[in-house]
Amino acid sequence: MLWQFSVHRVWCLAKFELVRLFLTKSGVMALLAFATTWFLILYYPVNSAVDFIYSAMFKDIAKDVFGAFGLASLLKWPVPELAMYWLIAIYSFPMFALVIASDQTCSDRIRGTLRFISLRATRAEIIYGRFLGQLIINATLIAITLIAAVLIASFRDGSLFLPGTKKAVELFIELFIVVLPFIALMAFFNCFAKSSKQALVFTVLFFGILPLIIGFVGYKFSVVSQLNYLFPGMQIDQAINPKQFSYAIYAIPVLQMSAYLLLAHLLMKRSSL
Amino acid sequence: MSCLIKAQQLNKFFGSNHALCDVDFEIERGGPVALVGPNGAGKTTLFSILCGYLKPSSGSVTVFGEQPASHKNLSRLSALPQDAQLDPRFAIAQQLSFYAQLQGFSKREAHIEAERTLELVGLSEVLTEKPGSLSHGMRKRVTIAQALIGAPEIVMLDEATAGLDPKHAREVRELVATLSSDITFILSSHDLSELERLCDQVLYLDLGHLQQHQSLNAEDNLSFFTLRMEQQQPDLIAALSSLKWVTSVVNSQDKEYQISVQTLSAEQPIDIEILKLCYQNKWRYRQLINGRTLENQLFSD
Repeated sequence: MLWQFSVHRVWCLAKFELVRLFLTKSGVMALLAFATTWFLILYYPVNSAVDFIYSAMFKDIAKDVFGAFGLASLLKWPVPELAMYWLIAIYSFPMFALVIASDQTCSDRIRGTLRFISLRATRAEIIYGRFLGQLIINATLIAITLIAAVLIASFRDGSLFLPGTKKAVELFIELFIVVLPFIALMAFFNCFAKSSKQALVFTVLFFGILPLIIGFVGYKFSVVSQLNYLFPGMQIDQAINPKQFSYAIYAIPVLQMSAYLLLAHLLMKRSSL
Repeated sequence: MSCLIKAQQLNKFFGSNHALCDVDFEIERGGPVALVGPNGAGKTTLFSILCGYLKPSSGSVTVFGEQPASHKNLSRLSALPQDAQLDPRFAIAQQLSFYAQLQGFSKREAHIEAERTLELVGLSEVLTEKPGSLSHGMRKRVTIAQALIGAPEIVMLDEATAGLDPKHAREVRELVATLSSDITFILSSHDLSELERLCDQVLYLDLGHLQQHQSLNAEDNLSFFTLRMEQQQPDLIAALSSLKWVTSVVNSQDKEYQISVQTLSAEQPIDIEILKLCYQNKWRYRQLINGRTLENQLFSD
């Protein structure tokens, strides 16, 4: 399969994903919504993180809140803005990734545009090219928000720029790995969804109903509980607390991404266009 | 002549519907090929299988000796699939350039290629337009332009002139005729006179069965004439039948007569005799065709 791969074509498809987001009306609207949301996040919780975490009035409350979630170590970060950023970003970026990547192939397939493309690129190249494009988009958005968070901290205290940048690079890698399986899951749903909305409905059902079923059946048959590894983000609770480091934090999302991409590839290969 | 497409015992089922039944044929490099048949005959299914959009239920099909969806066929086979549309969010030039880049053109070359193909279909002026701002016919011509990007060896056009006005339908036919020395076109259409003008070979599908696979220049076609009159002439059949070498005359349809003659040789000016007969009887004729029309070949037997 891999020897049929053309890096040139995969790169072309990935670049066109960027064009789809940054140069189309719907893409720009999505970006505006993203920018507005992150402006509010950066302006309120991140910007006021230092007051919340260090002020005498809120210090005990912060300890109680963070401690209750096992996140007391976040309070020791030298750049509190990034601690607050991390707490919000690790849950919100997967959701952003799902929304932004919700139309990788489905609308093109329903419209027939994929027929034009499939005469010029293999189906595997289409799946991986579009996935790569979505990765670049998500990485760009993560990087922009991190830069903004570091700048906010640096405006408050110039000495935080270097430690902030160093921490931001670490957080970028962590967040990048966290979003991988979410984008791959969307690539998989896109193989049979008829629209991005339908792909999102599948996602809601996947994350909403399947865990209940697994929990219920797993109560009787414990082996079924292993199916929880199907869910992207299952390692987030571990990843959020740097004290509980384990390689599983990185291995699980990478394996999940590989599995969903492979499934998407196989499904796309077998499906009619 | 090299074999471009070979289908053997090709079957396709959609549930209980047998869309293609044991279809066998070969297409060689050369003049345009017509794919004809009534609605639901399996033409689009066959197109989709040849383009790799659908997999056959059984049987085998090869394009350039490879599976239709093989990466080796990319950019060698091009198509205008029925009902496929361009992305409404992007300008025409942007989309055609993207397709050209996928085919290996650089960004600059791709833009030039987009301009070239749009010029071929007479739409240079829509380069910066989005598909939504074009008429149905213009969108169809743009999708024909995408099929001509690069140097495809086979171009499959499914109902290429459907929905086009006569002027532009004629331009598309002229384009096919002009390019057919370099490209093997496979055309599906309900317009038999159009296919007759363009194609050398016909695949006739009906209810999923390949009924006929023949060359329009077959020898037996030379022993027929088709005479089209201004008006229906009651005495025409008797008068034509009395001519030497004429073996039978059939009123194939209103104002049209199919005349079968003994196998012709250069010394038998039967066409001149037919025209003389019309002149002597003051019958105004519209057209005398050497051979049978495609419609009569397919449906009159």
